[in-house]
Amino acid sequence: MTQNNENKVMSGREAVSSFVHDGDELIIGNYTVGTCTELVFEICRQQKENFTLYSQSGILDVDILVNAGCVDRLVTTYVMRSGGKTGGGAVERALQDGSIEMEDYTNFNYNARLAAGMHGFTFMPVLEGVMKTDLFKKRSFMGKDKYRVIECPYTGKKVLTVPAANPDVCIVHVQRADKYGNAQYWGALGSVAAAALCSDRIIVSCEEIVDHDVIKRSPNFTIIPAFRVNAVVEAPWGVHPTEVLGYYNRDLFFYGMFTNANTRADKVKEWMDEWVYGCPDRETYINHYINKYGSGMLDRLRAKPFYSAPANYGAAFTSAWDEKGKERSMGITLDEMEKLLDERGMLYE
Amino acid sequence: MSKKYTLNELLIITCAKEIKDYQNVMLGVGLPTTAGALAKALYAPNATLMMESGIIDFEPLVPLNHIADAHSCQGFSYATDLFSAFTMTYRGFVDVCFLGVGQIDKYGNVNTTCVGDYRNPELRLPGSGGAADFISYAKKTVLTLRGGQFVEKLDYFTSPGYLEGGSSRDDSGLYPQGSGPSMLLSTRGVFRFDPETKEMYLSRIHPGVTIEEVRKEVPWDLKVSPNLSQTDHPTDREIDFVRRLAPTESVGRKVRTELFIENALKRAGKRK
Repeated sequence: MTQNNENKVMSGREAVSSFVHDGDELIIGNYTVGTCTELVFEICRQQKENFTLYSQSGILDVDILVNAGCVDRLVTTYVMRSGGKTGGGAVERALQDGSIEMEDYTNFNYNARLAAGMHGFTFMPVLEGVMKTDLFKKRSFMGKDKYRVIECPYTGKKVLTVPAANPDVCIVHVQRADKYGNAQYWGALGSVAAAALCSDRIIVSCEEIVDHDVIKRSPNFTIIPAFRVNAVVEAPWGVHPTEVLGYYNRDLFFYGMFTNANTRADKVKEWMDEWVYGCPDRETYINHYINKYGSGMLDRLRAKPFYSAPANYGAAFTSAWDEKGKERSMGITLDEMEKLLDERGMLYE
Repeated sequence: MSKKYTLNELLIITCAKEIKDYQNVMLGVGLPTTAGALAKALYAPNATLMMESGIIDFEPLVPLNHIADAHSCQGFSYATDLFSAFTMTYRGFVDVCFLGVGQIDKYGNVNTTCVGDYRNPELRLPGSGGAADFISYAKKTVLTLRGGQFVEKLDYFTSPGYLEGGSSRDDSGLYPQGSGPSMLLSTRGVFRFDPETKEMYLSRIHPGVTIEEVRKEVPWDLKVSPNLSQTDHPTDREIDFVRRLAPTESVGRKVRTELFIENALKRAGKRK
């Protein structure tokens, strides 16, 4: 457990070298939207390896980690397919050459593993419809522990269950956080909070670090509390070429360039050399992008404002004592209260 | 005579008619989201459009990039999480969902996981995502097949249709009674499932397509409805709506990609 009043701001490099270790169970917190590419790239640059990687729905994040050789085992529900009939992508190549093992779940049943882990349960009942399918029957490295069937103690019905997941470390990108790690995220919630909260360590990257007061004024946006967070990385454009609601749209052009490259091992290696290994951090990456394609290409992606209506977190008063110094329910001042307590023999030396 | 349409437009518009007013509709990305938007605008103003990412009651203003794309709309009514999007389906609050197909058998069982051997696949397809959960518990499911195939036996059984046919799905006790795929829409026609045998049959055929062309793609002896009709010709209003909302869906992936890359490179070049 970390502190809730400790400044945890650090660089991506420092965060990854401190909290991501070879052989970890690593989980990508983001789901389909706004995936934490800067942290993913940093993990590749530090050549971390032998991960069991969890992802609710793999997009370029999973394929980049697999391309980089970081992954031994993959637990997911969905992988990106880069080409049509040929050149599916890194995961397909790795399955074909036997360099990764993979366990397939459905979206709910994967998410349920995180939910169990997040709440401290050892397993979770799940949607049993898959029992007729190969999702239930075909098992990889988890074997019998992919799914187990128990009897419901109340109804006697067969209940399908999945084991809790408690990954070693979660990497996740959000809109904003304070320096303590209170992380605020809005839009498509997916399984982002569960992925973070089921993990032992959490690295948060964000578009901007804001004052703690901003967090306090809108606590319903906070999906990860400071006391669970190990590192806060400020990374503007930190999920490019994916998107952040309220900040920028997906860069379909650049995403397409990756997808094209990813259909072939040699082409994607060139892409990785240029954009992942060739750029030591996000700032360099963005500058390289601007030099190559022009800043107009990024400006076109910037979000125009569409603010939420402010929610009033206010109350009738913020002190037990009214403007005349009288306690609101008893109608006496502090002096009067102390005098009364003394008179009645209720104060002790 | 109404105006000419693209094949994608025909598919979107045909799909949209499966959505009825006041239904809760779980949408997948691409064709279904556009169909959902069309249905809401033209036939089902009180439908609630949902996505498994937890975006509930939204109205797309541009085509979606994926099922967590809150950039496609200006706000939405209810932000929940993925877990709850599925438990609301499990509890029976989703009337219709839409799923794409990699392989399908005659009883509407679906593979979206791989072609070839699961452990050493010829093609690794995306996987289940939410598909197996949704087709299990939505009251009905609309399947779309573009680029996939009809097979005697699935290479991997991802999502349960009518299992071995007949009453086997209902008898299993695993799914809500009467649930399952209600329609398969392919690039050639509309297929339905026999109420007794649950075997798929050709119900409607798209304009300009012959029964032989449909049969050529199906490895079993495909039954054809005695009342086989032609798929409705889209109206101008429907075509205009799709073309304005989702022009990239109208033209399809190939033309879109070609023009998109050309245009982006031109723009990047101009800037330098």
